[in-house]
Amino acid sequence: MSMVMSGGRRLSPSSKAALGFFARYATIIGLLLMIAVFAFLSPRAFPTLNNFTNVLNQASLAMIIAGGLTLAVIVGELDLSIGFAASLHGVLVTGLIVANKLPIPLAIVIVIALGALIGLVNGIIVTKAKVNSVIATLGVGTILTGLAFAYSAGVPIVAGVPEAFLQLSLGRWLFGIPNNIIIMAVVLGGLWILVERTALGQEIQAVGGNPAAARLAGINVDRIKILGFVVSGMCAALTGILLASRLGSGTTSAADSYLLTAFAAVFLGSATLRDGEFHVLGTFIGVLIIAFGFNGLNIFGAPTFSQYIFQGAILIVAVGLASLGRMISES
Amino acid sequence: MLSPDRTVSAAMTPFVAAESIAKAYGGVQALTDVSLTIAPGEVHGLVGANGAGKSTLIKILAGLVQPDAGRILIDGAPTSLPTPHHATDLGMSFIHQELAFIPGMTVLQNILLGVPKKTRFGMVDWQAAAREVAPIAERVGIKAPLSASVKGLSTAENWLINICRALVRNARLIVMDEPTASLSAAEAEKLFAIVEDLSASGVAVLYVSHRLDEIMRLCSRVSVFRDGRSVGCLEGAAITRPALIEAIVGSAVAPLAVTQRHPVAGRKIALTVDALARAPKVNGVSFELRQGEVLGIGGLVGAGRTELARLIYGADRADSGVMTLDGASFSPSNPTEAVKAGLGLVPEERRSQGLLLTKSVAFNLQIANLANIVRSPVLPLIDRRKREALSLEIVRDLAVKTPSIDTPVGRLSGGNQQKVVIGRWLLRAPKVLILDEPTRGVDIGARGEIHRLVRELAARGMAVIVISSEPDELPDLCDRVLIMVEGRIVRALEGADITRNAIVEASYFVGEPPSRENTI
Repeated sequence: MSMVMSGGRRLSPSSKAALGFFARYATIIGLLLMIAVFAFLSPRAFPTLNNFTNVLNQASLAMIIAGGLTLAVIVGELDLSIGFAASLHGVLVTGLIVANKLPIPLAIVIVIALGALIGLVNGIIVTKAKVNSVIATLGVGTILTGLAFAYSAGVPIVAGVPEAFLQLSLGRWLFGIPNNIIIMAVVLGGLWILVERTALGQEIQAVGGNPAAARLAGINVDRIKILGFVVSGMCAALTGILLASRLGSGTTSAADSYLLTAFAAVFLGSATLRDGEFHVLGTFIGVLIIAFGFNGLNIFGAPTFSQYIFQGAILIVAVGLASLGRMISES
Repeated sequence: MLSPDRTVSAAMTPFVAAESIAKAYGGVQALTDVSLTIAPGEVHGLVGANGAGKSTLIKILAGLVQPDAGRILIDGAPTSLPTPHHATDLGMSFIHQELAFIPGMTVLQNILLGVPKKTRFGMVDWQAAAREVAPIAERVGIKAPLSASVKGLSTAENWLINICRALVRNARLIVMDEPTASLSAAEAEKLFAIVEDLSASGVAVLYVSHRLDEIMRLCSRVSVFRDGRSVGCLEGAAITRPALIEAIVGSAVAPLAVTQRHPVAGRKIALTVDALARAPKVNGVSFELRQGEVLGIGGLVGAGRTELARLIYGADRADSGVMTLDGASFSPSNPTEAVKAGLGLVPEERRSQGLLLTKSVAFNLQIANLANIVRSPVLPLIDRRKREALSLEIVRDLAVKTPSIDTPVGRLSGGNQQKVVIGRWLLRAPKVLILDEPTRGVDIGARGEIHRLVRELAARGMAVIVISSEPDELPDLCDRVLIMVEGRIVRALEGADITRNAIVEASYFVGEPPSRENTI
């Protein structure tokens, strides 16, 4: 319990309150500071509506996949398969459209259904076979990578991708707002309502909070956990589809790196506003931080490797902030 | 019980003296001007309602929390306790209700956790360590071999290991927090003997308990806390039940009246259990439960009562046996089905199994009631106004002491947490409610309220099962009491036969298992 601050350091109530404030708002303050600094250093290129729209557009895919991952982590599990799954989905959706000549909407529906199925498999392995979710989803993800290579023989599907499919990601069908942003807003808004406002969401939060107590309160814990994986799987599929549309190709491993971004965002989000609890709004802010960070690094012409360093460092800072928040709320 | 040499002379330098301690958490004053002295070798009682500040003082002594004002003296010298390490080094050991062990380690490794060990060539010399520990282990009566794993040991044995751990560290004061909360009567007796032995050998014990019989029996002095203040220190012959209760509650209260038991023979049967079994803990249990009845299940810890409750509730699957609920066949394969069918369970471990500690009071109240607070079954959005109104109603009806319904439930005291778990089921109004140790670690005031609540629910027609290890609890509360021994029901008590003595006697039932039908 209050072993927290042992080791010689004691907190007065006021410094505890200050630390608590810091733990909750550090991410948001950091985001605003970062925007302010970039705006100051690059007043022409950075603080423009165009650039902000661009950042949000770029970040939309990460937001969708991270939003799905948020559901998995809220129910207390990790889903490491999402990046690999999204890569497979990208290859598959292009393949179905180009090689199998399926109508675009049908191809999309099939791939999202497959995403749900992968989530279902993850969930069943974790809840019924009692395999640790890190191992289970890492295993499933690796298998999916294999399947993606088997399907495409490792060669990107580029030729014959119809313009209509590209427009899915590149178009601005509503009020001139990029489609990606609209899709992201719908998905994240839906997830937020699901978690925060519905009866099911209360059960989802309960399962993550204390599975034993949730079970004795009559909640079907396994079913809720499987649901978390299914949502995560569907969001990964959607991200894979949009990425293929944006790239205009189905490329194996194209979406793999989204895994790390999603994790960094989700943990940044858990350190935001709430004391170490995962939530959808937090994840949104988490992705914004990463996206603006990348954007700023880009504008200043920082070399590519710096993005990795930035993302790795921010993941560690995020987890540190989240556990600081938890410690303070529990002490 | 009191020998003259155990009474404390004022001239003696106390081992520990806490003077005018104050401590606030946020805006809440947990302790105000609290003082306490403990003489060497004294068994000092500490009593008070939940939230009276006992735990805060203990945390301060343990170096877990720093006081805002006041000072601590050890052997008369002012000292500071910035970390738990300092407290240990000064000879204070703390045994908490929730015992901390490393499950994969042996008894010996757990006893010596954190103690510098003898090494040979850089490796721990476990044999030498065992030779040193063995006499102490024997003195406190640890039966398990030192090389055994602590996994699967009983709570009683865990207590002994903790006491042994304290003695190995040369503790001069052992603080015991609700030591008998999950011990059987026989195990408690052994513990009392050890406490007396410790005292005789000069080790002081700070004995924190809600159980006044134990306090009266063991302690030479008793400090009473109320609302964060020390309201008095009773000594010797002044330690009586009425005096203690008056000090705890603040005014003399009439003893709880024995409940009006009402005949339930004519009422409809709510639940039947027939030859329910799951090896090795439940070995063929049968009984009937009627609407409006409060059925007690007594017996020793480990008799299989919690396991029986879990079988009825679908938390575990039975090997054999059948049940009916309201006349229809009932075999839940998980708690979800049991809850749907009309059962509710208030589990034994409320913090780990009953509550989501970081979630709000309202969240914890409504978590089994979600279907009733959605706007429509088609679009199950939570109706937040309804959620708030229903939560406030329960908080008011049950007199849950909480700053608001949005306060994390982990911040409430034990009794109030328990009310939240019970309140959760009130919202669903189940046909059968099972309460497993409903008043463990709960103060006298809250205990009375919980008992009244149980009777009220029964009066409304709910069938209630109360599992309790406290023989005093069941006579107050129940229309009928079944006694379980080794997974079987050995006795059924009714009406005037439900007495403390009858329950204790039956709990120690040994000999022939009851007749083959076993139906009671």
